[in-house]
Parts: sequence; C-alpha cells; structure tokens
Amino acid sequence: MYLIFFSNLVFAFDQEATYLVLNHFDESLPNIDQSLIDNFNNASFNFDESVNLLFDDIDSDNNPASKYMDQIKELGTIHHVNYILLNKIKHIDNRIIMEGLLFNTRSGGLVHRRKINVKNYNNGSVNEISLWVGEIRNKIQKQWEKARESIMFQNPEEISYDKTPMGAALRSLAIPGWGQAYSGNSLSAGLWAALELSLSVAFISSYTNYDTSAKSYLQNLKLYNATDDEKEVSAYRASAEKDWDDHVMYSKLAIALAGSTITGWVSNSVHAWVFGPRPYTNIYQKGLPQTAVPKG
Amino acid sequence: MFKTINLISIVIFCSGITFSQVKLDVNTIPTKVDVHLDGVNIGSSPIRNERISPGLHRFEIKKKGYAPLSYDLLVNPAQAVELDFFLNPIYECKFKTDEKGLVFELNGEHRWDVDLVRLRLEAGDHLLRVFKIGEIIDEQIINVDQPKKYNYFLKKPLSAGN
Repeated sequence: MYLIFFSNLVFAFDQEATYLVLNHFDESLPNIDQSLIDNFNNASFNFDESVNLLFDDIDSDNNPASKYMDQIKELGTIHHVNYILLNKIKHIDNRIIMEGLLFNTRSGGLVHRRKINVKNYNNGSVNEISLWVGEIRNKIQKQWEKARESIMFQNPEEISYDKTPMGAALRSLAIPGWGQAYSGNSLSAGLWAALELSLSVAFISSYTNYDTSAKSYLQNLKLYNATDDEKEVSAYRASAEKDWDDHVMYSKLAIALAGSTITGWVSNSVHAWVFGPRPYTNIYQKGLPQTAVPKG
Repeated sequence: MFKTINLISIVIFCSGITFSQVKLDVNTIPTKVDVHLDGVNIGSSPIRNERISPGLHRFEIKKKGYAPLSYDLLVNPAQAVELDFFLNPIYECKFKTDEKGLVFELNGEHRWDVDLVRLRLEAGDHLLRVFKIGEIIDEQIINVDQPKKYNYFLKKPLSAGN
C-alpha cells in the first residue's frame, strides 16, 4: 500500500497560461513546493487537496486522454487555470517511476505525457520535476541537466582517479621506487631504489675501471714502443698485458651490469604498474539480519 | 471526378492515420544510443518528433558498457509522449577472498567458490550472500559505484577472550 502524498498548487507561469499542479507521490518529497517556487519565481500558488482520487491508474483506462474531460474542465473552472499538470512518483523495489501528465482545461484532454523509469535515482526526484516543468515552460536550466547527469552512475571510461597504475609506472620509470612510494608501498619503494642504486653504482664503477684500464694500456703501449731498454720493455709489456686483461674483464662486467640495471629499471616500472593504486573496497562479514536468523 | 473523390478519400484516410498517431520524443542518458521500437531501429537518441500509434509497444535500448533496457509502454492517445531512459553502466569488478571454504552468491543468481573472480556488475546495489558448509553466514548489500576490487573478510573472534 502506498502512502499517497498529495498536494495541489496553482501558479501562473505567465499572463497567457496558468497551471494547476497535482503531485501524487508514494513517499513525501520534502522541499518540492519550495523548489518550484524558487525555480519559477513569477508563480503564484494555491494549494488544494480535494481531488486526490483522480488519475489513480491511467494506464488501465481505454481512453485516458479523454476519460477525465469533465473533471479537468471542472477543475479548470474552479481554479481558473488553462492547464492541469499531474506529477506521479512511485517506488517499486529500488526502481523509481515518475510520470508527468499535462491536461488542457479547455478541451479536458491529455496533451503531453512523460514517463521516467529508473533505478538508484532517489535523490533526483526534485530535480526531475524541475526539468519537467521547465520543459513545459521551455525554460530548462543547464544546472538541472548537469544535476541529473551527476546523480547517475558514471561511464567507466569517464571516471577519473587521483592515482593510477600508469602514473605509478611512469614515476618508477623516471626514478626507481617513486611509483611504489606514490602507491603507498614504502618498503617496496626502498628495496627497488636500493637495488637500482647498487646496480648503477656497480656499473659506473666497472665502466670507470674499464676506462682507466684502456687508457693505461694505451699509455703502456706507447711507452713500450718508445723504449729500447730491456728491463723497461719487459715492465711495460707486463703492465700493458695486465691492463688489457683488466679492460676486457671490466668491459664484460660493465655490459652485464648495464643490462641488469636496465632490466631492473623496466621491471621496477612494471612492478609499479602491477601493484599500482587501484580502487578497492573491503567487505567485512556482517552476519545475518535478525529476520533471517533461524530460530531454535 | 471519380479519381478526385478517390484521391480526397486517400488523403483523408492518410491524414486520419497520421493524426491518430502520438508524437514521441525519447531522451537517454547517455545520448547517442540506438532505440528500437517493436524491434525496429528508430534512430539514435535523442529522438524528436517520432510518431507512435496508440497501443502496447516495446522499447529496447542497448549500448556497449551499459545494461540493456527493455520497456513495455501502453501508449494512450495523448498528443505527445516523452520518454527518458537512463542507462545503467556495467563495471568490470573483481571479487577476492583469502578465506577458505566459502561459497558466494550474488543477487540469488550467480554463485562461486574460488578465491578470485571477475564480475561484470551493473551499477547500484547488489545482494551478497555467503555460505559455509551449506549454511548461510552472511547477507549484506554491496554498492557498486565504479570498477574496482572487493576483498571479503570473515569477522574474526576476539583473541582477548581466548
């Protein structure tokens, strides 16, 4: 059984047309009258609760457009209005069904009908009535249209997040560990930063040793070629051979460390993306509602 | 003369058909959605000044990423009908639990007993039921408002009481 919240109001939209507004709501809608007054500030209102059984189930009538002609004409005469505007709101489960009907009091006929059938829209009723009345008046405010869209659930492609996995990945690509820190994982951030720093230092050290060995080799080769002294020739030869061996070893080490550093750097970025910030909700067991708990 | 009368009759007949139809406007959020009326595509929303005959009709509205909508409407001989359809998005969600031996049921339709499952859920409220050894142990409404992961935890007994 529905709680019928019913109110009638008359307001003159302009000098040419006057309207009697009937609100048939199964739940009370606070501030609807004030909302109409605020949104249509040139209106004058007259409340009347004398026709609450009218238009109860219009879909079940064979010809509802003309069925209420006599009552519409009579209401028009009583309230001195040109049109009767009926707003109906019904809630079925979590679905809201809003209906708007516009009757002409001169002919008594139904001239315009509008129906909304939507889930999860309980906060949108007042705004929808403003839109409906605004449409009849041809004065729709942009803010009502925006309010309607803001109430609806967003298109997943249009949802924006403060932090994203891609943001974490890019940060880690710039500075290892930054993406993990951005995601709030300090331990992981520290480990990645330490690993990459160690690999980088080792690579730089190996490269420096390689460079030193190569230069030393060239220097010893030059000195070796420039002398005829037997002892010096022997010493320069030994030094040059050692430098050559060192240069080869450090070259291989530097290449291996460079590869490890780059691989680690990319892995750190991938890790930041995989474990990046994603929305989640923790659901904790609530148990059963009292009515669902079996007795005995 | 006979041809003229015939022509006038046809014009009157066609006018009768035209005027017996009801003006139809269809709005949707989001816009640019194909609207099917009785199985016939009548265009992309918003639809303006379409005509519909009095009687029972079925509207079907489909858009990728949104729950399809089917709506039956008995059109009365009013001068105009305006329909607003608000499509509900579908979000890609994950449902994860580390708890063992649980069976989950969503909206009395979908059941699973694995640790991690991917779900395509319509935005809004959903009824979650949790079973353990064949008995229901939890029932609650979960609100789906964006694509995300849901982690389920059982209520642990307080260790101080042991």
